[in-house]
Amino acid sequence: MTVFIIRRLMQAGVVVLLMSFLVFSGVFLVGDPVDILISDEADEEDRERAIAGLGLDKPFHMQYLLFLRGALRGDLGESFIFEEPALLLIVERMPATMELALFALLIAVVIGIPLGMLAGFRPESITAKTIMSGSILGFSLPSFWVGIMMMVLFAVHLGWLPSTGRGPTSEWFGIEVSFTSWKGISYLLMPAINLSLFKLALVIRLARAGTREVVHQDYIKFARAKGLSGRRIVLVHVLKNILIPVVTVLGLEFGGLVAFSIVTETVFAWPGMGKLLIDSIGMLDRPVIVAYLMIIVFLFVIINLVVDILYSILDPRVRLGEIRS
Amino acid sequence: MSSSNESIGAVPNLTDLGEKVQMPLQRFLSDYRESSVAVVSVFVVLSIAIIAVFAPWLAPTDPYDLAIVTVADKTLAPGVVMSSGQTAYLGTDGSGRDLLSGIIYGLRISLGVGIGSGVIALTIGVFVGLIAAYFGGRIDSLIMRLVDIQLSFPAILIALVLLVTLGKGVDKTLIALIVVQWAYYARTVRGSALVERGREYIEAAHCLALSKRRILMNHLFPNVVAPIIVVGTMQTAHAIALEATLSFLGLGMEQTEPSLGSLIANGFDYIHSGHYWITIFPGVALLVTIVSINLVGDRLRDVLNPRLQR
Repeated sequence: MTVFIIRRLMQAGVVVLLMSFLVFSGVFLVGDPVDILISDEADEEDRERAIAGLGLDKPFHMQYLLFLRGALRGDLGESFIFEEPALLLIVERMPATMELALFALLIAVVIGIPLGMLAGFRPESITAKTIMSGSILGFSLPSFWVGIMMMVLFAVHLGWLPSTGRGPTSEWFGIEVSFTSWKGISYLLMPAINLSLFKLALVIRLARAGTREVVHQDYIKFARAKGLSGRRIVLVHVLKNILIPVVTVLGLEFGGLVAFSIVTETVFAWPGMGKLLIDSIGMLDRPVIVAYLMIIVFLFVIINLVVDILYSILDPRVRLGEIRS
Repeated sequence: MSSSNESIGAVPNLTDLGEKVQMPLQRFLSDYRESSVAVVSVFVVLSIAIIAVFAPWLAPTDPYDLAIVTVADKTLAPGVVMSSGQTAYLGTDGSGRDLLSGIIYGLRISLGVGIGSGVIALTIGVFVGLIAAYFGGRIDSLIMRLVDIQLSFPAILIALVLLVTLGKGVDKTLIALIVVQWAYYARTVRGSALVERGREYIEAAHCLALSKRRILMNHLFPNVVAPIIVVGTMQTAHAIALEATLSFLGLGMEQTEPSLGSLIANGFDYIHSGHYWITIFPGVALLVTIVSINLVGDRLRDVLNPRLQR
């Protein structure tokens, strides 16, 4: 077990290091931030001082090593534009993104599981076919397009919901949240639904497949024979058993939600990390781009690591197979 | 291609071969035809492809011709006559371009990038996947580790990193989409090829001391084509959607070569001023394209998957 965990940790470390190099060297190649940051009127001396101040006069490998040294101490550089630590900028916007992602996850589960079960109990019914066609749409439509359509319909045409921004927030255990007021929720609703659609389609599929499998199991037949109410069978015996794959997959997919929030946040001008990234790309704010990508890579590596370790605890064959190979 | 001629030469009776090749195709077509939605989708996909190919002849105006396009025509409602005397059936966009023409040209770019990247990624993926499955061992585990790591990140994130690095443009978007997609093909091909490798006909080919290249290309490859077709169809729809998303984020296409995604992004600036058509119509075109390709792919999967057959 320990060997397995150590191996996985090392592997994760290598992935992070590799990605840091790719991201850093990639972003290093992007346009020259100096042209944007320094005004044309500045004379040669000012220019050089500014370049040196940003650390851009050093050769590439020095810049990378300095970046790595900083990164190990939790310093991912300072934003060229805001003149604040990049990490701080991102952490400030993290609650907004996390709130959005968690709400999207909640919507996907609360709506997706009942719909999926409904489709699973009577797979040939028209309701089931409608739900499944809907889930194909959820998989195939680009989420920015659905977001725009939602905005045109509910915000511009009907005027029911505000179209952009986050609305009022309040402190909750020291974190800014917007779901504590109705007004805040009205701002949160559309982006969260938009972000959830893909996962909703996924949860529907998983719940349907699970239900179709579970209803034929002996314990369900036994529960019926025992005379339990249909309601109890569905809510306790079926639901509990289909939750396992749903929870696993959703855990894995959470990183995807955070990544996809880049799109949703851009559509709805939601002030989260994703919008910060797109804005920073527009302004060639290299340290913020690098810092964002490193945080996302880190998040993914951690999620995958935790899932791998949990799997190996649940199913020893996974780790034994790996050690043998 | 020369190697395929060799194998035909080795078969004594050509008429027998002809029948054998046609039979599965006929069965495939009759299976496919059972779903009317899927048949309609094929025609929709074909029409879109024809529109895309013949865009310069079908579009009422040339949206890139700066001599015709004037800002005076900007944001005209659908059906209004432009200053050039032509009717803008779907209205005009923010810079006075006829939207219908813009969509037709945009389709050309979206489909071109989607299919082009798909074909190249497929070629790379098939090659790498076959090699991984056939040789196994260290090569296999190295390739698959790479595939696993790549697939553990969402496609949009990888494409984003690449485009931030490379910049905008058709060629760069193409590269980003190829890098994103090859791993899916490699994994699919390796999976099917591993199953096929254990079959007797491959062993028989080994016993005949055929060259590795010949076994890979003439024996292994034809037997993994079915899953590749299914994944290829679905991936093309994904690639088109991804390209549109990237262009919407301002990272894909240049504004001088607008794809459907860029058109939607342009229109997005106008939705609050009531000029809904600039974003809706390209959106509908994108929607029809993606959904119809997906429906075709869905049907292909049902028909080509031997486990579901009879």
